[in-house]
Amino acid sequence: MNAIIPLVLDTLSSAALIFFAAVGLTLVFNVLRVLNVAHGSFYSIGAYVAASICAFIVSRHLNPYLSFVALLFSAALVAVVLGPLIESTLIRWTYGKSEAVQILITFGLFLILEDLQRMVFGVQSFYEDTPMRLMGSSSIGGVVYLNYQMFLVAMAVIVVFGLRLLIKHSRLGRLVTAVVADREMAQSIGVDTNKIFIFAFSLGVFLAALGGALAVPTSGVAPGLGADTMVLAFAVAAIGGLGQIEGAALAALIVALARVLAIYFVPSLDAVAPYAAMLIVLLVRPYGLFGAITTRRI
Amino acid sequence: MKFKTALSAFALVGCLGAAMPAFAQDKPASLGLGIFTFTSGPAAAYGMPGKNAADLMIDQINAAGGIGGVKIAPTYVDEAQGAQGVITEYRRLAAEPKNQVMLAALSSANCLALAPIAEQLEVPTVGWNCDTHQLLQDGKSKYVFRPNGNTVPEFVAYAVYLLAKKPDVKTVAIINPDYAFGHDAAKIFKAALHALKPDIQIVAELFPKLGSPNYQTEISRLTTARPDVVFSNLWGADLENFVRQAQPRGLFTSSQVILALGETVLQRVSLPDGVIVGVLGDGWWMSPDAAANPETKKFAEAYKAKFGEYPVFPSIKMANTILYVKAAYESAMKKNGGKWPSRAELAEAMKGSTVTTLTGKSVTRADNDGLVDQIVGVTVKSPTQSFPVIGDMVRYKGDALMPKEGQDPIAWISTLKPEFAASLPKPGSYK
Repeated sequence: MNAIIPLVLDTLSSAALIFFAAVGLTLVFNVLRVLNVAHGSFYSIGAYVAASICAFIVSRHLNPYLSFVALLFSAALVAVVLGPLIESTLIRWTYGKSEAVQILITFGLFLILEDLQRMVFGVQSFYEDTPMRLMGSSSIGGVVYLNYQMFLVAMAVIVVFGLRLLIKHSRLGRLVTAVVADREMAQSIGVDTNKIFIFAFSLGVFLAALGGALAVPTSGVAPGLGADTMVLAFAVAAIGGLGQIEGAALAALIVALARVLAIYFVPSLDAVAPYAAMLIVLLVRPYGLFGAITTRRI
Repeated sequence: MKFKTALSAFALVGCLGAAMPAFAQDKPASLGLGIFTFTSGPAAAYGMPGKNAADLMIDQINAAGGIGGVKIAPTYVDEAQGAQGVITEYRRLAAEPKNQVMLAALSSANCLALAPIAEQLEVPTVGWNCDTHQLLQDGKSKYVFRPNGNTVPEFVAYAVYLLAKKPDVKTVAIINPDYAFGHDAAKIFKAALHALKPDIQIVAELFPKLGSPNYQTEISRLTTARPDVVFSNLWGADLENFVRQAQPRGLFTSSQVILALGETVLQRVSLPDGVIVGVLGDGWWMSPDAAANPETKKFAEAYKAKFGEYPVFPSIKMANTILYVKAAYESAMKKNGGKWPSRAELAEAMKGSTVTTLTGKSVTRADNDGLVDQIVGVTVKSPTQSFPVIGDMVRYKGDALMPKEGQDPIAWISTLKPEFAASLPKPGSYK
């Protein structure tokens, strides 16, 4: 039993971080039908902004618990500033275009955002671990865990249920569902699809930035984080089925379990484990665990 | 006929021109120096101190009149662009005659990729970091030099120090980056431990991807293996991340931790007392030899004033490498009556040289590999600094931990006996 506890806890805490990296990507695809390659950049921008705000709080000797608020605030700030701006100036022009065009445009955006981050934040790593230190640690099954790791798991669960509540049980969510189901029909009955797209894209940016912000206290942020995150996010989205929020959660668990098992029992397979899991799932279910075959208009 | 004569004359001039770099020449307006390091990405945490030191050392040399009156004009190449980009940049710089020598590179993988090109283009190339023992193993290099030592003495030193400090150690776990440097270090460290104490068990070996931001699962795995010792040669942002994540999870109290590149983070993260750290050579700016050298003190203070922190050992390695190149130029010019040396003459001057550096001496062997001493110690609180420093130090002689030229290093390590370790200086002997 003692041997299983670390496996379970490591899988859960690892899955939480992976889930945050992927859920925004899958949400944006679900509503906008755009494969956003720049998603990883929003993750790293969220991390940089959170690290900067937390560092400001510490340097001004403000109440350190404000750093928890800063994590959420920084994600919201990134979403409010970048979401509407990028959706209305760039992403909007890709709707209905081929996947190749969408990927090229969002990849260009990714390169621009990566360079902008380098110009603004430099090339050195940023760390701000105040939230992690405030929460302390606990010994479970003979292994010391950071309470912050469990906080991440709780946050991931809250996000899954929060998104479900938003999509299924709010008016805004129903409008989003209507647009996803039939964009033209929704438009014809008076739904302002442009606003829905801005909202959905900004929510995707918020989720990515939140993932980055929540990762800062344990992992810091350094150039290159966006690219790594993007690759993993795509693997998770593919396993879960593009556009499936619950699918992303389950896929994050599968990827995390594959990595954890590799690290414990076959360390040399650590790097390939997530992608091996993706390959196996896609061989059995080509549209992902929760994905379904969709008809295509000609 | 006139056309043919003109063509022949043109061809002759062309041939002579092409042959010119092989001979001593007039002093150039400036000495171009291609310097390869990581200036972006997670590895910049290690690469930027090297660049900073190069900037400072070049400024100091230029302020004193340059090398033989010629000022140094560096061109920096970011190794984060990957091996293909690094090779392209190297070829581009080498094609310009003003760039007579390259300081390349930081990454072992890039050094291995550039070495055959350096030989092909006949450009003196000095590995300022380049730890892998594979670099000069064939002993045939004419233009590639490494004055700062290699992975064999660096990691044998840790095994010897550990066993002197903790002779009863039984179990060891390893966490190194997943590329040549990490795997080479693990192989050498394990071989040395098994040779010097055959009953030692390796209970976990992890090789996370270079640039991993998160080590939580690896830390759990290391903790569950309950090793007496955790050894790591993680570096740069990876090392900072690992320390920041492992310390609150108690890894530094449950096991004796060895951080082979730990000195690089002493000023950035809070390390507890008793962690075994070193500088992969003798490049500790506070060592007794360094403290006794006014040039080193001047360099360290100027570095602190310019960059806000004291030089870490990658800074010292870079500074020592530039001093090595300067010494080679001065030696070559002395040999040919003060004339500016060609690339070939410069390479010749590096062979077999003994150069006084900021922190000791670098002796270049016949195979172009450098012999430098190895300093290892443990973290201790400092009465003068706000960060931990290295105490209980030992300084192993450079040649004591190196196999002879042409000898297979792993085979040599396996011949080591406990008596060999007993003959070496003990922890605390370097004061």
